[in-house]
Amino acid sequence: MLRVKIDDPGSDAALMAEFAAREERAAGTLFDRFASRIYGLGVVMLGNHQAAQDLVQDTFVKLWRTAERYDPQRGRLETWVLLTARSLAIDGLRRRVLESRSLQAIGVQPDDDPEPLPDERAAVADLSARARRAMAVLTPEQRSALELAYFGGRTTAEVAALEGIPQGTVKTRIRAALLRLRDEMAKDADHDV
Amino acid sequence: MTCDEVRELLPEHLLGTLEGPEDLEVRRHLRGCSACREERMKLEDGVAALSRAMHDQEPPADLRARVLRMLDEEWEDVGHPPATAQRRRDRSPWRAVAAAAVGVLLAGSVAYGATQAHRASVATADATSYTDLLKALGGKEFSVGALHPTGGSSFDGRVLVYEGNASKGWSSWAIVFVKASSYTGEATATLIGTDGQALVLPPLRVSDGEAHTWLVTGDDLSGYDRLTITTPDGNVVATGAIHPA
Repeated sequence: MLRVKIDDPGSDAALMAEFAAREERAAGTLFDRFASRIYGLGVVMLGNHQAAQDLVQDTFVKLWRTAERYDPQRGRLETWVLLTARSLAIDGLRRRVLESRSLQAIGVQPDDDPEPLPDERAAVADLSARARRAMAVLTPEQRSALELAYFGGRTTAEVAALEGIPQGTVKTRIRAALLRLRDEMAKDADHDV
Repeated sequence: MTCDEVRELLPEHLLGTLEGPEDLEVRRHLRGCSACREERMKLEDGVAALSRAMHDQEPPADLRARVLRMLDEEWEDVGHPPATAQRRRDRSPWRAVAAAAVGVLLAGSVAYGATQAHRASVATADATSYTDLLKALGGKEFSVGALHPTGGSSFDGRVLVYEGNASKGWSSWAIVFVKASSYTGEATATLIGTDGQALVLPPLRVSDGEAHTWLVTGDDLSGYDRLTITTPDGNVVATGAIHPA
């Protein structure tokens, strides 16, 4: 699959303008750039390959419906896409909790997710291994704060309450975690070269 | 808000968990502070690294086709094909009449604008005339909007939307007038709906500081309440709310 790597804000804005104008080429380019990470986010957050595929589809429909609102001055397209996907994944998790409660209330056990195929298990295991390696550079406290904020969509106040620490500490930990991840990935890239 | 205060809030701003007023303050600060924008870029590198490390997995091979097919269905259901395609299909006589009326309106408005030293207040100032015109045409409503420059651009202008009456066979129109004293070239006018849907008008071609574009369609335009002008590099150079005249 061709992966197009474009981080130029002008190019991103033009791409989104084309996407808003229903250019299939732009839709394909966006898919090639971001689908793997949206799909992986679905696997990690929703724990189900079918739900992850649905997350990719829902994210692209939402991206199109809001494409005109994308403003490169407000941040990278990459961040915008990922947070859109995360928001939908959180909505999906909330729906599941509500559905589960409703089914339990009427005495019906919700169906378990289908058992993943062996190759799917291997892929998830690989994903987890890479995740562990990358996140290993962070302290447990940094990792916890970042995961609650990134995957959980929790505000600083919510993370602080959950962790029992001051809000200022949460802010410091998340910021330090992001900067450290950036530095570690830059180091990895240097080693690969 | 100082740089230190903004930098403390940047991670939350970036992760989309910052509440309204503070987020707005951060956005304002970032627009005018390159050092803080650079800090934001570093943190965005961190988010990108996190996403690649934590959740980058090749999706099934058939998912691409499925997503593109769903987008096609979405575009069909929304019912607003691209303006250029729509215009190619506008061949019925009543649409030709509507187009002629748009031409008259366009010429009249341009002339009016010229006599008013190009002040961009044509539609509002002439609202009464438009109401009379509306009665004569049998449509539902005229809506107008003033376009205001963004990001220090020289763009301003007006948008006029005429909501026709499909049951009587009258189409709807949208006309955009733009002034841009320090710009030459193409720009794009896009109507934006309350539900986020977008309708792109044919390109604006700015020369001698002015441009206009218009669209005739059988679709309902009443759901569009905003118009933006963007340049080919993607910058939004003007925007304005649309409201009933």
